[in-house]
Amino acid sequence: MSRIFNWFRLRNLENELDRELKYHLDRRVSDLIQSGVPEAEARRRGAYELEGAAHVREEVRDVWLTRWLRDCAYDLRFSARSFVKSPSFTATAVISLALGIGATTAIYSLVDQVVLHALPVRQPERLVLVDSNGIWVGGGFGSYNLMPYPFCRDLQGQDKVFEGVLCRAATTVNLSTGGEHRPAAAEVVSGSYFPVLGVTAVRGRLLTNEDDQPPKTNPVVVLSYDFWQTQLAGTPDVIGRKVLVNQNPMTVVGVAAAGFRGIDVGEVPSLWIPAAMSAQAIPGFTDLLGRTRWMQVLGRLRPEVDLARAQAALQPWYNAWLEEDTRKPGFPTITAETRQRFLSASLKLTAAPQGHSVLRRRLSQPLWVLFTGTAVLLGLACLNVAGLFLARGSARERELSTRLALGASRGRIGRQLLADSFVFALIGGLLGTLLAPIAMRTLIAFLPRDAAPNALQSVIDTRLLLFAFLASVIAGIAAGFAPAIQAGRRSFNSSLRERGGTASGGVRLRKIIVTLQIAFTLILVIGAGLFIRTLKELTIKGPGFDTSSLVSFGINPSRSGYSKPEADRLIRRIHDEIRANRSTQASAVANVQLLTGGSWNNPMTIQSTERSITELAHLNAVTPGFFATLGTRIVAGRDFEEQDTLPEKEGGRRVAIINEAFAKRYFGERSPLGALICQGTAPDARPDIEIVGVAANISYRGIREQSEQVYFPRVQGEYSPGHFYIRAQGRPEAVFQSIRTALHNVDPALPISYLRMVDEQVSRSLNTERLLAAISSSFGTVALLLSVVGLYGVMSFVVTQRTREIGIRLALGATRPAALWLVLRDALVMMAAGVAIALPCVWALGRFVESQLYDVKPTDPVTIAAATLVLCSTALGATLIPAHRASTVSPIDALRFE
Amino acid sequence: MSSSRFPIPQGTLDMLILQILSLEPAHGYGIAQRLEQISKSVVQVNQGSLYPALHRLEQKGWLKSGWKQAETGREAKFYSLTRSGLRQLRTEKDSWARLTGAVQLIFDEGSAR
Repeated sequence: MSRIFNWFRLRNLENELDRELKYHLDRRVSDLIQSGVPEAEARRRGAYELEGAAHVREEVRDVWLTRWLRDCAYDLRFSARSFVKSPSFTATAVISLALGIGATTAIYSLVDQVVLHALPVRQPERLVLVDSNGIWVGGGFGSYNLMPYPFCRDLQGQDKVFEGVLCRAATTVNLSTGGEHRPAAAEVVSGSYFPVLGVTAVRGRLLTNEDDQPPKTNPVVVLSYDFWQTQLAGTPDVIGRKVLVNQNPMTVVGVAAAGFRGIDVGEVPSLWIPAAMSAQAIPGFTDLLGRTRWMQVLGRLRPEVDLARAQAALQPWYNAWLEEDTRKPGFPTITAETRQRFLSASLKLTAAPQGHSVLRRRLSQPLWVLFTGTAVLLGLACLNVAGLFLARGSARERELSTRLALGASRGRIGRQLLADSFVFALIGGLLGTLLAPIAMRTLIAFLPRDAAPNALQSVIDTRLLLFAFLASVIAGIAAGFAPAIQAGRRSFNSSLRERGGTASGGVRLRKIIVTLQIAFTLILVIGAGLFIRTLKELTIKGPGFDTSSLVSFGINPSRSGYSKPEADRLIRRIHDEIRANRSTQASAVANVQLLTGGSWNNPMTIQSTERSITELAHLNAVTPGFFATLGTRIVAGRDFEEQDTLPEKEGGRRVAIINEAFAKRYFGERSPLGALICQGTAPDARPDIEIVGVAANISYRGIREQSEQVYFPRVQGEYSPGHFYIRAQGRPEAVFQSIRTALHNVDPALPISYLRMVDEQVSRSLNTERLLAAISSSFGTVALLLSVVGLYGVMSFVVTQRTREIGIRLALGATRPAALWLVLRDALVMMAAGVAIALPCVWALGRFVESQLYDVKPTDPVTIAAATLVLCSTALGATLIPAHRASTVSPIDALRFE
Repeated sequence: MSSSRFPIPQGTLDMLILQILSLEPAHGYGIAQRLEQISKSVVQVNQGSLYPALHRLEQKGWLKSGWKQAETGREAKFYSLTRSGLRQLRTEKDSWARLTGAVQLIFDEGSAR
């Protein structure tokens, strides 16, 4: 062991050696001078006799290190030889470790890619995300951390804090590079985007501030390297080529660097469009360059400015900016209180070396949960190997005792055992690293893909190799520690005495290990139980409507150059055609797709007996028959009628349907029918929409949440995206065909955003839960297997060891059940101890997973009881075999055995 | 280094060091001086190989070391024999005696002929 320390203490040793040699030289020189040699000559001779201090140093260093390395090599060779001799033992141990290390590496790779990996840009550590804490007055859409475009432009003036500021938003456009129109992921960016990130072009040039000056007559885009390679086969003449973005011609000016995939790991853009072109990139919205919040803002801090100082420096500027905003034309009328809250918003800066990612927000917690799970699993695998080693150690008892008697030091033998486990861990690690990409592919397949692919890859890189190596080393130490200690404590005298058959110390250690295994396993099994129950509860709950034979698809004609009225007419034509098809039982169109996490929302003003305002309500605009198509009951009032969809000036009525949750929260026991509402909470908001019905609750953004919803009729000419819901009569494939035909008939160039069964949409919306449930239950199964094997091994060993004792007991009149009990009691104690260790851990880890659960508490007694029952019954099963053997011991044989 | 003294045989340096330290703990320079005296111009000890040997013996657990004030008042690294070092010395002396005895026997036999 001292040589391992030497490795780390090398510098220290080096200093000591220097002092030692200097002392020698000084003494020699002063002795020589005393004997009459002149000083210069004395120095020369002193140094000569030592053959130069550097040379001596070299040799001493060799003594420290080579010796250690040589011993290591011997140990490793010896280990390898002994493994070849016992292949089944080796296989079990290596496979245990490979499973543990492979799983940990796979999950770590996702954690690394999603959560930890910095963007491949210049000095990513200085990027910060700029966001506002507080309320905003005005519209917005998109995911998180949204700011308006002018904020980004004005923030660029803060050049004492920032080297540069960029803003961006992810979107999907219809893209045609000459042929078919296809949905493609795009990033709408400020002209500062590429310069601030420090990304270079492989072809042509990237976007600049000049490209981002509205209004722009020469619209340009930059393609991603991947898109250029896969869709355009990397043609060199791509520069200057015209592409159609939502039917608007734009010119390709360049291709970005190969490794650069935007700033969101979950949504890789195919192209970048300057924000000046946002009206073309995101049709259907006005005021994108005005007060609408829709972009994420990132800044690059100056080297001398840290996060806290930047925050402090920017706050006064932000307050002034907000103040100025209220004076701008177009600022809505608001109450004094709202104005106060608006002005007191604070700026929030967050380090963003990994960029901004919706995927990270959604997945980082589940990934850490899984990572903890794999760590526990790896720990379990180590315990398993340690248990195997101890078992083999008992078999090797005589060999080790002999070696001790022959003068091997305990340290040396302990190290030999450590070397054994290291070899295992490294082989296991290697195997695990080979297995990891398969696991990674499976994991990545759990994530849904739409137009934007994610940048996750199942590739082993150097970081991952390093991780796998570290995991192997730690596993090696963990697995070898107990056996090494055991060997260190062993005294050969006692092992010679032990022939009598009393329990040895090794058994106690093995029992401790099995107890820990049971504890670890119980944690994993309970975790699996919780996640399975969550998934089950959510699946049973469902979206609140019957999804069987329900087909949905979406189109967005405004991305193909249609104006709003044109788009609406188109959608009506398609709808008519689908409705006329025999395979359609019922159908409806909504403005917002359900169960994707997105929503259209606004706080509302209610005017009934008195005026009141609401929190955010989730809104949708639907055609008459929407609720009937989904099979949702109208619990009060009526459904929409065709007449409701007429524009106001053609005699249409302004009506709305609310859901039960909205009615319950804001009307309580009163009837909401007849009350007036409107969007927005400004003092001049005019509630003029009459509530005519109440619908049963259905899920909107996802299955977990219960939200307050308001539905408007899909008034003609007002909405352009169309999300169709069709209840199929007979086979859904027929509906798929009729949809394709209908679309082809009206506009063959119109791309379809998605076409799938709603069942599939439901399962997509539960993919995180499914991921957790699937992986945790596979962990639980593996854990159960490992600990059952461990328990069985120990109990068999104990029974073999106690055969004589049991024989004597039986001979003296003990009954067979008593012998059975003798063994079972041992196992029960271990199980009880394991459970006792696991439960507080479950309680502590519970808070960590709570947010991932639904309708079940982390300390749910039923789940815990069930998991304990599963574990204990399996464990008892494993114990019964050796216990049965104990009860059938023949006293005569047992005594003769010795 | 041309000298009439012949170089110390391989492996004997360790034994000599152990022998010196069995009398009392000493620092490197002290050991070097004692070696000088012992060798009495007959055996040549290369001072450069002294320190590697000391560290090797310490690694084997036969010596232990510590910093103490030397006779000059300065701190020096003193080496002393451990129990296993003492055992080792005994074994080595033993085998040395056997070896030289055996060699002598062979020589005697040779000259008797």
